[in-house]
Amino acid sequence: MAATTGTASAAAEAPLVDKKWLAVAIGIYSVFYAWVRWYEGVYGWSAGLDAFAPEFETYWMNFLYIEIVLEVTTASILWGYLWKTRDRNLQAIAGTREELRRNFTHLVWLVAYAYAIYWGASYFTEQDGTWHQTIVRDTDFTPSHIIEFYLSYPIYIITGFAAFIYAHTRLPYFDYQKKGISLPYLVVVVGPFMILPNVGLNEWGHTFWFMEELFVAPLHYGFVFFGWMALGILGTLLQVFASFANLIGRELCGEEVYSGGDAAQWPE
Amino acid sequence: MSTTSTAVRSHAEAVEVSRMIDYFGLFILFFTLIGGYHVHGMLTMGDWDFWSDWKDRRLWVTVYPIVQVTFPAAVQAVVWERLRIPWGATACVLAILLGEWINRYFNFWGWTYFPINFVFPTAAVHMAIWLDVVLMLSGSFLFTAVVGALGWGLLMYPGNWPIIAPLHVPVEYNGMLMSVADIQGYHYVRTGTPEYIRMVEKGTLRTFGKDVAPVSAFFSGFMSILIYFIWHFVGRWFGTVKFVKRT
Repeated sequence: MAATTGTASAAAEAPLVDKKWLAVAIGIYSVFYAWVRWYEGVYGWSAGLDAFAPEFETYWMNFLYIEIVLEVTTASILWGYLWKTRDRNLQAIAGTREELRRNFTHLVWLVAYAYAIYWGASYFTEQDGTWHQTIVRDTDFTPSHIIEFYLSYPIYIITGFAAFIYAHTRLPYFDYQKKGISLPYLVVVVGPFMILPNVGLNEWGHTFWFMEELFVAPLHYGFVFFGWMALGILGTLLQVFASFANLIGRELCGEEVYSGGDAAQWPE
Repeated sequence: MSTTSTAVRSHAEAVEVSRMIDYFGLFILFFTLIGGYHVHGMLTMGDWDFWSDWKDRRLWVTVYPIVQVTFPAAVQAVVWERLRIPWGATACVLAILLGEWINRYFNFWGWTYFPINFVFPTAAVHMAIWLDVVLMLSGSFLFTAVVGALGWGLLMYPGNWPIIAPLHVPVEYNGMLMSVADIQGYHYVRTGTPEYIRMVEKGTLRTFGKDVAPVSAFFSGFMSILIYFIWHFVGRWFGTVKFVKRT
């Protein structure tokens, strides 16, 4: 009977890793971007070559208008929700299983961010290269730009800032009121975000000089510089590991490693 | 109450949790690296990497190792110094190669219809393994910069030789001496990148005759040493664990 009760209470307890959300994060991006790639394949060639054609307005400019509205709406709701529902007494859960659970939820957010960065900075950015080296552009809002700059970049920005807000308002290790803001986390979120404003420089240059597409042209180096900021993931992961070490260090490695409190600090 | 007062309930569970953290960490690091390293690579050496007719004996050999040693140096600096993980460079190169291959297949071929044997990416795993092995055996960033990064530059062309050699075979085409790769470029027209933009073996280094590739590789290795040395400091900066407070 006792065993039955114990099993029931264990089943009632939330799992440390909510695999449903992990699957949702990977699944949503994969399915959505597969659909986007299909859309590009169909309407890139058939309606995306002449920016002055009526079909360009129908299939591409309307896509742009809709995605911008959806992105602003999503960012406002998601960031607003995460901020409004923040934990105002983070130290109350310090050292508990709840903190461990939240750390894993944070990792799910970071998985989503890393995956979104892949789609934006790798898949759709190099895709832009082959499109522009093949097709002569007659507008800033080319089919590949409408997807790359104004869809995939905002999506990773929305995801990244959501992860950032979650960490600083839910995890005692990242408690913004007690410790401030994580510098590497700031770099890994704000740096890639800056790629979007840098589009302004890029498009201005392309318009002014009407240059041929050379991907290694100095005009593109702004993207390179802000792409370096993705390396902030190194410091962020070290902090994440330290946050976990505070929770499992004693059981994992013994008393000689774990000295209590906020023990897992990396030497500067 | 006791179930929520401690984070884990046993050593076994702590081990299981630590393994899960490893898998999460690997995914996050790897996919973030694909994004960051790939956007860096495609905009600093991309044109040489995209097209086989850009893969010449001079600038491809020179540019690729110099700009690509950056991320491996930065990642090595953190994962070796903090975690004693000896595969930082290999992880970087595997990451960018995955991003490149997916792109070349689904977009260069799948969207704009260039054949794969015209748009394959540069092989670099052998260079990364060399860099990691040198750091692991020496335990010295200075030694890795001098010996590892020099080898990184020198190994690039020999490692790519098996795939590029057949495309460098000289052919006569309409009375002109060209390579097979040149003819690929002629037939698969890139309207946005006219022929005159290609920077293929320009300059007086051609007067060195058959020695163009070794000289370029040696210069590339020299520059890679300097870039590695700078970028392992860059990596340390990005590996900071500081918090900033409102002033």
